[in-house]
Amino acid sequence: MAAASPPRQRRIYRLPEGHEFRTVTEQVAAIPLHYPQRLRWWLGFIGSSLLLGLLIVSAAYLFSEGIGVWGNTIPVNWGIAISNTVWFIGIGHAGTFISALLLLTQQHWRNSLNRFAEAMTLLAATCAASYPLFHLGRPFFFYWVVPYPNTMALWPQFRSPLVWDFFAFATYITVSLIFWYIGLVPDLAAVRDRATRRLPQVLFGIFALGWRGSAVHWERWRRAYLLVAVVALPLVVSVHSGVSLLFAVGQIPGWHTTVFPPYFVLGAVFSGFAVVIMIAITLRHAFRLYDLVTRRHLELLGLWLLATGWMTAYGYLADAFMAWYSGDSFERGTLLDRLAGPFWPIYWGAVICNFVPLQALWFPRPRRSSFVLFVIAFLVTVGMWFERYMLVISGLFRDFLPSSWGGYVPTFWDWGIFFGLIGFFLFFFFLFVRFLPAVSMFEIKEAVWEEEHDT
Amino acid sequence: MTGRPEREIAALRAQLQGERGPRLWRSLEEIAESPAFARVLGAEFGGFALPEAGRRDVLRAMAASILLAGLPGCGKGPPDAVLPRVADPADDPPPDRPRQYATAVTFEGFARPVLATTYAGRPVKLEGNPDHPASRGATDAFTQAAVLELYDPDRSQSPTLLGKESGWDQAVQAMVTARRDWLRNGGEGVRLLVEPTTSPTFRRQIEALRQQLPQLRLHAFEPVGKERREAAARLAFGRPLALRYALEHAAVVVSLEDDLLGPGPAQVDHALGWSARRRGGHDAGAEAIRLHVAESTPTLTGAMADTRRIVPSARIPALVAVLAAALGRDGAPAAPELSADERGFVSSWASELRAHRGEALLAVGAHQPPEVQALALRVNAQLGQLGRTLLASEPVVWPGAEAAGTLQELVADMAAGRVQALVVLGANPAYTAPGDLDFTAALQKVPWRLHAGLHRDETAGFCHWHLPLAHPLESWSDARTVDGTATILQPTVRPLFGGRSVHEVVALLAGDPWARDREIVRATWRDRLDDDAWRAALRQGFVPGTAAAPVGDLAPSPAPIGLPPAGGDRGLEVVIRPDPSIWDGRFANCAWLQELPKPLTKLTWDNVLLVSPALAAERGLATGDVARITLGDRELRGPVWVQPGQAAHTVTAHLGYGRKRIGRVGQGIGYDAYAFRASTKPWLGTGAEIAATGDRHELATTQPHHRMDEYRPVRLVAPGKALEARPEEENQASLYPDWDYPEIAWAMVIDLDLCIGCNACVLACQAENNVPSVGKHEIGMGREMHWLRVDAYHDGDPLDPSFYFQPVPCMHCEKAPCEVGCPVNAAVHTPDGLNAQVYNRCVGTRTCSSYCPYKVRRFNWFEYAKPAEPIVAAHYNPEVTVRARGVMEKCTYCIQRIARARIDAALEDRPLKGSDVITACAAVCPTTAIRFGDRNDGASEVARAQKSPRHYGLLEELGVRPRTTYLARIADQGEKGEG
Repeated sequence: MAAASPPRQRRIYRLPEGHEFRTVTEQVAAIPLHYPQRLRWWLGFIGSSLLLGLLIVSAAYLFSEGIGVWGNTIPVNWGIAISNTVWFIGIGHAGTFISALLLLTQQHWRNSLNRFAEAMTLLAATCAASYPLFHLGRPFFFYWVVPYPNTMALWPQFRSPLVWDFFAFATYITVSLIFWYIGLVPDLAAVRDRATRRLPQVLFGIFALGWRGSAVHWERWRRAYLLVAVVALPLVVSVHSGVSLLFAVGQIPGWHTTVFPPYFVLGAVFSGFAVVIMIAITLRHAFRLYDLVTRRHLELLGLWLLATGWMTAYGYLADAFMAWYSGDSFERGTLLDRLAGPFWPIYWGAVICNFVPLQALWFPRPRRSSFVLFVIAFLVTVGMWFERYMLVISGLFRDFLPSSWGGYVPTFWDWGIFFGLIGFFLFFFFLFVRFLPAVSMFEIKEAVWEEEHDT
Repeated sequence: MTGRPEREIAALRAQLQGERGPRLWRSLEEIAESPAFARVLGAEFGGFALPEAGRRDVLRAMAASILLAGLPGCGKGPPDAVLPRVADPADDPPPDRPRQYATAVTFEGFARPVLATTYAGRPVKLEGNPDHPASRGATDAFTQAAVLELYDPDRSQSPTLLGKESGWDQAVQAMVTARRDWLRNGGEGVRLLVEPTTSPTFRRQIEALRQQLPQLRLHAFEPVGKERREAAARLAFGRPLALRYALEHAAVVVSLEDDLLGPGPAQVDHALGWSARRRGGHDAGAEAIRLHVAESTPTLTGAMADTRRIVPSARIPALVAVLAAALGRDGAPAAPELSADERGFVSSWASELRAHRGEALLAVGAHQPPEVQALALRVNAQLGQLGRTLLASEPVVWPGAEAAGTLQELVADMAAGRVQALVVLGANPAYTAPGDLDFTAALQKVPWRLHAGLHRDETAGFCHWHLPLAHPLESWSDARTVDGTATILQPTVRPLFGGRSVHEVVALLAGDPWARDREIVRATWRDRLDDDAWRAALRQGFVPGTAAAPVGDLAPSPAPIGLPPAGGDRGLEVVIRPDPSIWDGRFANCAWLQELPKPLTKLTWDNVLLVSPALAAERGLATGDVARITLGDRELRGPVWVQPGQAAHTVTAHLGYGRKRIGRVGQGIGYDAYAFRASTKPWLGTGAEIAATGDRHELATTQPHHRMDEYRPVRLVAPGKALEARPEEENQASLYPDWDYPEIAWAMVIDLDLCIGCNACVLACQAENNVPSVGKHEIGMGREMHWLRVDAYHDGDPLDPSFYFQPVPCMHCEKAPCEVGCPVNAAVHTPDGLNAQVYNRCVGTRTCSSYCPYKVRRFNWFEYAKPAEPIVAAHYNPEVTVRARGVMEKCTYCIQRIARARIDAALEDRPLKGSDVITACAAVCPTTAIRFGDRNDGASEVARAQKSPRHYGLLEELGVRPRTTYLARIADQGEKGEG
């Protein structure tokens, strides 16, 4: 893709004086080999380990006692377990979006973001996929959702969106893992070559798959990488569409609407970008990667956040408008519950966190400020959590018959699983930045080279 | 097996009681070595000797097998001489098939005729006896719960002396000693406190006992009794009478606080009559029964009334007096002043009653003063209603006021030290006596006290001796229904916990400790029934021709009846009522009944103080606030419930809660209204005050929202009119092909015009389908498990609303959202149209429930079905899967009954017919509001009901095509008008 005709764009990567390609590699490869911030890393790692411990305790208690330890009821028999699935898988969207879509459209500024964004995707998708398992009444039979030859001669029930979701999740996690690993191989080889101790040499050597950097390697690698990117791209749309259909297929007011698939997908990319921004800023400062993750990167991310935020806002408007325009008293009732009923703090919390601070990103200064961007991204993450909660719970708690209205209050064990899964995410993310090249070295060098030779 | 080893085994088993794990095995070892066990072995296997080597192990194993495994099985089978109900007596059902025994359980002394279905000797379900005129297959909710009461592990299990476990031998010994003293002076100072009963055997025994002990005095007490109605009969007609309403002959009923359709001994009788008349009227175009109600606190009768007027309870006497003056010819007291509003409806009722002379009825609540009720009786007599809508017969209940003293007299005598020995049979006055009597203080002055009852209750705690009584389902007895027809109660199982029947206890008092209940009961009927007739009566479930003899040519006594002085107008009135679910507290330890949502509030596990919205606003009270009622020096604290339709200045308190001793289920919940009750005015206190205490109390209700909003699940139609179709309900397109039902398509139609919200169906479903109870905390979270719920709505002005009931089982939709949602094919459609739930296949995603527009699905959040004690599991219906934790469940249209009928049809080589199956809810319904059958069969009741102009589907505009559908309630104003 090099010499063809990359679109003219402003230069993003500018290596400072004294830097050359070699120093890029040294800077990034030094992280797994000679970890710089040991004390901070240990503090963070221990903190996330404690949260992971909470997950283990909560899950053990859940499995020994039953779903009843959560706050779920009839009618709200899906609680934050399901809303968090939606939230986590939404976060998991930005990785593939950045990696695959921007790769195929030759937005090479993505090259310093894609590696950790993909790691984030993998972990968030794993969290999302584990939630339905926790949430099953009989989790030991989860595999009945899988079509496999069995003595009962039974298939899953293919009309169920849950089965679609199983396929969507399984495909998404598999493809994301392959894509991430393929992208890692040249960098693993680079770290292998710089390792001085035996153990890293062997381990990185094994996972580098004998990469020698020959032209044939590169040629095949690129073909594989693009191919998987093409496969991954539709998944960005399909996964969250599938998740949204889990709701839209049910005839529940507030769920039963055709706007849901795009509404969910856009919200997913929106929340995913927010988390990518938080991670990028954290890594940038932790490892002083100011040359690799530049202010221009932050600015571009900010613009993306603004754009996807507005698309999500359109989803809100369309959803509310259709509820009103349908004239259906139940749909209107649910809309009222959200706007002015018991769910108003959640609804308006989502609207305010998602869209109000976001508007600062129309202006260049806040876009370039790490701090402001981080705060906005954090609020969006929280706001999107509110939104998922609002969509799932407010649909269920009052559906049709006044006699079966009910309420829902999450218990300690609901939160235990949620914060435990955040701990799971952080735990493995800490391991990732500690032991793997968190930024793609060769792709940055490629981008730098292209920019230098293009201008 | 001979008698002696049997008793030795019982003694040995007693040694093992309460032992678990290693201790059990050590105890077994001791027993195996004991001489008593050697005797048992000798008796069983004569000349049996074991080699010394390994002898201990063998003996221990034999002890285990005989004592733990073998004999409990032998001990609990159906007793001798009971007769199952089969078409042909020679045709004994095979052991794997259920047997049905025609028997009865009792409630306030009256028989509820039932068929008890037993599997392997365990009764698991009671059906109303379809051949019995007082049941016709229906029962009330209390009857359905009797099975759980039978297996209640908190029932008393052995005689106790001063609270310590003792044995029957010691109890018999003590009785013999006590009797020796009694006989010395003819029973002077001996008192017997009983609950009024209809049992001829009990009466015969007590009368025989009084022959032995002429000085013995009998007292009768029933906390929710009808003694005021009896007194009214004496006032009006000068003699004791049993009075009964025949609503099937009534065209107009004016009820002044008489809860005809509400819970009570006559509920089924009234519901049968009322529904027959109402249904016949509407469907045949004839004149339907019109029901006018005036009441202070909403009841089921008020909810079903054509007009309902809210008046304070203290105002009823004045209304009756004016009605009597308007209708009667003589003897009416001077009519008091009425308000303009009252004058209006009273005069319209008077003219309606007059116009329907002979087929009208003026009913006044049995809690109203006798004079007031007597006035109404006389009005009925004067309008020629005696023998038509008001049936008078010889008394059914015994002992009446002639034969027994009251509780007040007993307390006075005890306090004065005139009582040397007191025997309490069944009653629980330490709990149920009005608070101002101070029964327990007086009781403790009695030197010798004995209590016999099902539970070690409050009274047992104050008595020296307590004897466990056997449950009606485990003993021989007899009892009569409200019309007097006698049923022989035959046991369906041997006493589970070593109780003895009340007849055996009375025999013990009479000096015959060896008498068996069967012989005692048989002796009563020896003259009337020869052996063939006895057997026929057992099989049939009643003794034909025993209805109480009607009393003809009753002349109202001409003596003028004066009204009791009216209470002051100041302050609030407090009306006291039995609890609709646990009645006077006797059912407090029954989890099914505690968890049965009360008809109008849908409250469980608590009693509340009902206040009107107006009073709540005035005093700043909200539902759940704890309030204090003061009346004179009496005080009552309880949580408030704001009840639309309550009279503005009336507070309703319910009896039955606040129990201190009964068992793990019912103890220590709610407030005790008995302590607040006055013995002279047990039902109404005037001049009370209410104030908030600032505390809050969590209340668990299954339906937090009762108001019908914009969407109206219960539809109304004016008489003779058809429902307007809702705009979207015709022919919605579907992506999926329609189902094809070549043979049978089950369907259910529920007539909302007949449903009185009595909850019998809810409990019948619970008993039939092994539905667990989950406790107050889970109910409070919204996790009730009832497969069938009865939604209660009110509509219109909250101060004077209309009430509606709507039973909601699974709708078994044609286009069921649950079937689409389930990822593992656990929710599937059957070839006969059911929406089945395959528990084994369910993984618990709960998608089906999320998608269900009716929210009828129930989830096992915990291992709810696991019983607290192993014996409780014996009530489970073996035909129905007990659901494990983590699976979804719901109404199946009693698929086990369908399967059974299909098998039977196949065995008989004939096609299955719709009429072969009836669901548990439809079978029990006393108003036949629930109809079930094959809609492919055009002649079936459901198929005809589906063509009714009142037919509609709940939420049918969603296009899910429910096959449980409804017939609209008939109301004068139809759908448009309100109030």
